[in-house]
Amino acid sequence: MAKFLVRNLFSMFVTMFLVSLVLFFLLEVAGGDVTVRLLGVFATPEQRESLRRQLGLDAPAWQRYVDWLIGSDWRAQQLSPYPLTMAPNPQTGEQEWWTEVDGVLTRWRMVEGELLAIQRTPDGREVTSPASVPWTTDETGAEVFWGVDTRNNLVKWVRGSDLEVLVLSKAGVRSERGGPQQYIPLRKGIVRGDAGMSLQTNRPVSATIFSRAANSLILAAAAFVLVMPLALFFGVLAGVNEGKPLDRIISITGLGFTATPEFVVGVFLILIFGIWLRWLPATAVFLTGDAIFRDPKILVLPVLTLMAAEFGYVARITRASMVEVMQSPYIRTAFIKGLPRRRIIFRHALRNALMAPITVVMLQINWLIGGVIVVEVLFGIPGLGSYIYDAAIFGDFNAVAAAAMLTVLIAVMTRLIGDMLYTYLNPRIRFA
Amino acid sequence: MLSSSRTTKTLPVLQVQNLTVAYRTRKAEIEAVRKVSFDLHRGETLGVVGESGCGKSTLGWAIVNFLGANGFVRNGSIRFEGEELVGRSEKDLRHLRGDRIAMVFQDPMQALNPSLRIGEQMREVLIYHRQMRAEEATERCIQALERVHMPDAAGVLNRYPHQLSGGQQQRVVIAMALLNDPALLIMDEPTTALDVTVEAAVLDLVAELRQTLDTAILFISHNLGVIARICDRVLVMYAGEVVEQATVRELFHSPRHPYTQGLIRCVPHLGVDKKSSVLYPIPGRVPRPDERPTGCLFSTRCQYVEDRCRTDPPALRVLSNGASVRCHFAEQIDPTAWAPPADVELAPAVSPPADAETLLFAQHLKKYYRVPGASLASMIGLGEKRFVKAVDDVSFSVRKGATLGVVGESGSGKSTLVKAIIGLERIDGGALEFMGVDISGDLSKRTLDVIRELQMVFQNPDSTMNPAYTVGQQIERPLRRFKIVPRHQVREEVIRLLRAVRLNRTYYDRYPRQLSGGEKQRVGIARALASHPNLVLCDEPVSALDVSVQAAILNLLMQVQRENNTTMIFIAHDLSVVRFIADYVAVMYLGQIVEYGPVDALYSPPYHPYTEALLSAAPVPDPDVQLSQIRLEGNVPSAIDPPAGCRFHTRCPRRTLMPDGGRRCEIETPTYQETEAGNRILCHLPLETLRSLKPVSDVHSGR
Amino acid sequence: MTTAATTPEMDKRPSLLRQVRDALDLVFSSRTAMVGLAIALFWLGVGLLSLFWTPYPPNAQMFSANQPPNAANWMGTDHLGRDIWSRIMAGTQVVLLKTRLSADPPIVIPGGVAIWGVIGAVVVGGLLGVNAGYRGGIADQIIMQILDAFIAFPVIVLYLVIVTSLGRGDLIVIAAITITGSPGVARLVRGLTLDIKTRDYIRAAETRGESKWYIMLREILPNARGPILVDAMLRVGYAIFAIGTLGFLGLGLPPPDPDWGSMVNDARKYIYANPLAVAWPALAIATLVIGVNLFADGLREEIMRYQR
Repeated sequence: MAKFLVRNLFSMFVTMFLVSLVLFFLLEVAGGDVTVRLLGVFATPEQRESLRRQLGLDAPAWQRYVDWLIGSDWRAQQLSPYPLTMAPNPQTGEQEWWTEVDGVLTRWRMVEGELLAIQRTPDGREVTSPASVPWTTDETGAEVFWGVDTRNNLVKWVRGSDLEVLVLSKAGVRSERGGPQQYIPLRKGIVRGDAGMSLQTNRPVSATIFSRAANSLILAAAAFVLVMPLALFFGVLAGVNEGKPLDRIISITGLGFTATPEFVVGVFLILIFGIWLRWLPATAVFLTGDAIFRDPKILVLPVLTLMAAEFGYVARITRASMVEVMQSPYIRTAFIKGLPRRRIIFRHALRNALMAPITVVMLQINWLIGGVIVVEVLFGIPGLGSYIYDAAIFGDFNAVAAAAMLTVLIAVMTRLIGDMLYTYLNPRIRFA
Repeated sequence: MLSSSRTTKTLPVLQVQNLTVAYRTRKAEIEAVRKVSFDLHRGETLGVVGESGCGKSTLGWAIVNFLGANGFVRNGSIRFEGEELVGRSEKDLRHLRGDRIAMVFQDPMQALNPSLRIGEQMREVLIYHRQMRAEEATERCIQALERVHMPDAAGVLNRYPHQLSGGQQQRVVIAMALLNDPALLIMDEPTTALDVTVEAAVLDLVAELRQTLDTAILFISHNLGVIARICDRVLVMYAGEVVEQATVRELFHSPRHPYTQGLIRCVPHLGVDKKSSVLYPIPGRVPRPDERPTGCLFSTRCQYVEDRCRTDPPALRVLSNGASVRCHFAEQIDPTAWAPPADVELAPAVSPPADAETLLFAQHLKKYYRVPGASLASMIGLGEKRFVKAVDDVSFSVRKGATLGVVGESGSGKSTLVKAIIGLERIDGGALEFMGVDISGDLSKRTLDVIRELQMVFQNPDSTMNPAYTVGQQIERPLRRFKIVPRHQVREEVIRLLRAVRLNRTYYDRYPRQLSGGEKQRVGIARALASHPNLVLCDEPVSALDVSVQAAILNLLMQVQRENNTTMIFIAHDLSVVRFIADYVAVMYLGQIVEYGPVDALYSPPYHPYTEALLSAAPVPDPDVQLSQIRLEGNVPSAIDPPAGCRFHTRCPRRTLMPDGGRRCEIETPTYQETEAGNRILCHLPLETLRSLKPVSDVHSGR
Repeated sequence: MTTAATTPEMDKRPSLLRQVRDALDLVFSSRTAMVGLAIALFWLGVGLLSLFWTPYPPNAQMFSANQPPNAANWMGTDHLGRDIWSRIMAGTQVVLLKTRLSADPPIVIPGGVAIWGVIGAVVVGGLLGVNAGYRGGIADQIIMQILDAFIAFPVIVLYLVIVTSLGRGDLIVIAAITITGSPGVARLVRGLTLDIKTRDYIRAAETRGESKWYIMLREILPNARGPILVDAMLRVGYAIFAIGTLGFLGLGLPPPDPDWGSMVNDARKYIYANPLAVAWPALAIATLVIGVNLFADGLREEIMRYQR
């Protein structure tokens, strides 16, 4: 059992590693030029090049992958003369990168060729003053200094440089002289909970993703908890009545639900209950974070839509498993022993028949997540699904990658749980 | 028989009259059992025998009315203790099943629920039928398990089925069936899935229970030897009908129906050796339900067929000796005057000259499989390395034109040995030479010439041919691959090969699904012969076939061997088939050859105690022959850590004959002792002791 | 005995006609499969017809917008005043009948995006599966571990990622269907291979010294045909499903040719003004997917019954 667990955990890590590779290289490397998205199609090649360097995209792909996965701070620390640290912004509460110079949080910016130090005072204010930093001489003879800038990069300033950089701010693109020569965007890496900045919102991905995921979880869990008993019940019912009209009805209904895309089911539910009957809201309006609890009615249609998609699948698997078990020789033995049908079904068949659905149901979490995305987009629910969707439409690869990693992690974890449950239920493995 | 005369006056436990059972299929309704009638009395054991597809099992299931969704009793009556069962409600029947009527069927591993403990599965029978309390039920279950000689009965109740061996599982199933002392016990091939020595022990148990209980037993089997051993009376079924019913002695000594006669002629008797006899197959096969002839169903295969048989279906008639037979000419046919039909080719066996060159030579052959340990440490390669010693220090040689039989139960390593020779497995130690060439590497290391000279005939007719290709295509492939004949002659060569295995050219374009088991096996032989190999390895080529077909295939192999001077290695799980076909025999146990020698020397003392047990375990198709009962205890030990010393010591029934009570067997590995007849025996017991053992049977010398 | 007994009707190799009739027999014996086939054929017919004739040009904005069904426009018009029925008819084409390799110059090959996607998945997944199953050991572990990584993705997330990185287009959708489908096919084929490779005819081929590729392609795969075919048919259903969903999410097949999912998405914004404009394409997707599923399912059940 311990061995089984270790092997599964190991396999899970390998899977997650491969997933991260796939994601990163699909999104970052094969993906389109992000500068087009940020600067628009009319930017000059020089402008693009400048932005690419600011985003750290000039580093080799493997380097960026490592930064993205496990962080760049340990690499940056090698270059920075002062220890790097993180501190929350007193206004927004977001984590920012600073260096500690003699116990004082310090960042730098270059204005008109002059390096200024920004120091945070204990009461949260920021004081800007001309900086005196330990310049070092690099191999080309230039005097350089590695320090943290105001946009969470470790950058290399060259004394007396008048390199022109384009700074992207909320007001637009402006040009600044005396910009840094090289950028290392500081991040702790996705495995350490830092998924980088969202290109769309310019806020850390991890700041929004978890609250979004919580909304999705409520939606998915409600659907899952409601549909499982129903689907298992009808699956078993169909299975023990194989070939009879009841089985036909359940099977065809299940097939119909499974084969109909979620958005089609959702659209029809909206048409019927939201527009023609006007019983339920056709879209979810999330004015506040706890809207779900204030007005559970907005969840009814989304949950129903998800249930429809899940029901058919689980019921069909359960039915097939039940049919198979009911034809097995040991059920024959049980009949020959003269046991009542009820006992044969509940005591002899059910446990063996439910083993297959449990693993499959856990695998089906993927399916459910897919459904969640569609349902959230359709009903306008601000969950993980609509987050990943918006990010995908925008081309915000940090956000897409993080959200995708999270969904995969959820899927892989549930599969692990399913495997363990299966082992527990199956004495052949338990007492091997 | 005594038991039947004792009970005929009382009411039969089971009275079946004119029973017809049919199945609905996509195309039509098929009658699997037709107009079957018989009585079964208390304390009596009735055997039902016939080839596969004759409706034996359906008969058993019909009695408990468990025919599946598409089966139903079309006609007739089944009276159990005087009460009609046909048409009774499911609820009434449920009270009978498991209580008054119990059933044991073929595969014990599948018959028990894998996710419930044995105790629960047994107890519920008592709880539901007898409203017993749990403790009392447990007590009864332990008694029942003890009655079937299950060691550690109380402990077994807490185990899951997969923790027991096959023989133990079947004991559990039998104990479970007997819990409520049923009036009727139906046993459907209860020993077919078991190894020979385990089968013998289970049959002993059935025979013993038959003496001590007065339960009526309906015993279904395809094996005439088992039937002869267990039953009082026998029903012979053919294509859904009863063709003969007689007491067991009457049936085996003067069979009346040509089908019964044929069945008895086509099984190898242990006493018959290669040089003195041939097995006589029944030509053709059981007609499928949709192609049953009008008239006598057996007319298509009967040697005595006359015009009347083809048009006029015979009725079941009672003859003067009390037997009933479904044949127009039962009185006229004299089984003793039977002569083989002219077109059966007799294959007088020829042993190779003693000075023939050695073709295959194996010395100290080893094949170990690494087993992954169960511990965490073994996962990262730190654990103790454990091996299954599938073949361990095996030496033998085969001369050109000779046949070596390899006999052993499952787990003996015989299949691994063959795989190593053919090159499907790499050898881990020792030398293996074929025609003077070293072939200790696997197939990838062998040249096409060596590969061509070594071919194989496989066990399972249903998987020996690729269902996607026609017979012709499959025989062509080796011809093309080894470039045996020029391209334009391939087709003729295939037809020639088909003819060599007695199939005509119309088979060329057929798909495997259109062939019977025996025909598929013939094609498999043709394919193996296509490259003109010097050595053909046969892996139990007949064990999955009906007896009537087995004989034909064995004869064919011997003919082919004679025609081409082919050398053969023939694997089998019991000694009767091997005796018929082999010149030399190697008996394997747990990866070692425990006895090796010329075939004739092997069947009489001195022999290895394991050989003795195997000989005594084989069921003999003659109710009058009593073999000495040498039974092995326990199960074949795991080959992962085989017992130290002599590997057989844990089960050896002759260990007590050792001067020190067998201590030496536990410690010291025995060496081969050579007998004057040329046998090598791997045993500590002195040859004199072994020689003084009583022969297992004396039939071989007499009849 | 010179030959084993023969039965007359076996003497001939079954002709092609006979095989087709047997297959049809199989379909006709299952009512489920019949209904499914009828629905699928209906849409196929509609699609073929639309190649030559639709009531109005599907992309022509020639009516007033958001009309309810009327004599001129059987299903009404959409928000741009296009005839919905014409667009639904033409919507079958990209799914089932044609793939646009490039828009300029227009290069079109027969066979819809769903069909090519599934063919891709079957080829890639089949080859991976048979290699994993037959070779076993390390090769098996590596292949299955990689496929596990792909299976771990929720399918729509993987679509989103692929479309985000590679953009939109018929070929991209085909690639997405191939990538998301092949792990499933591979698992199926691996399972079948593990079963088939224990058969004696594989041993026979090995003892002839056949190459691994010969055994995989010529001995194993032909015997896995049936289940693969049924699975492929189910996958066509999933693919149509997925194309619809992608269209609905605004990530599907590029305009201007109509695509059912996008039609739902567009009409959704006017759901209060013209609810039926959402319903028609939604209904079209649902019926086609259900039809294909019923067909595949009925067929599978019938084949299983055969084997019992």
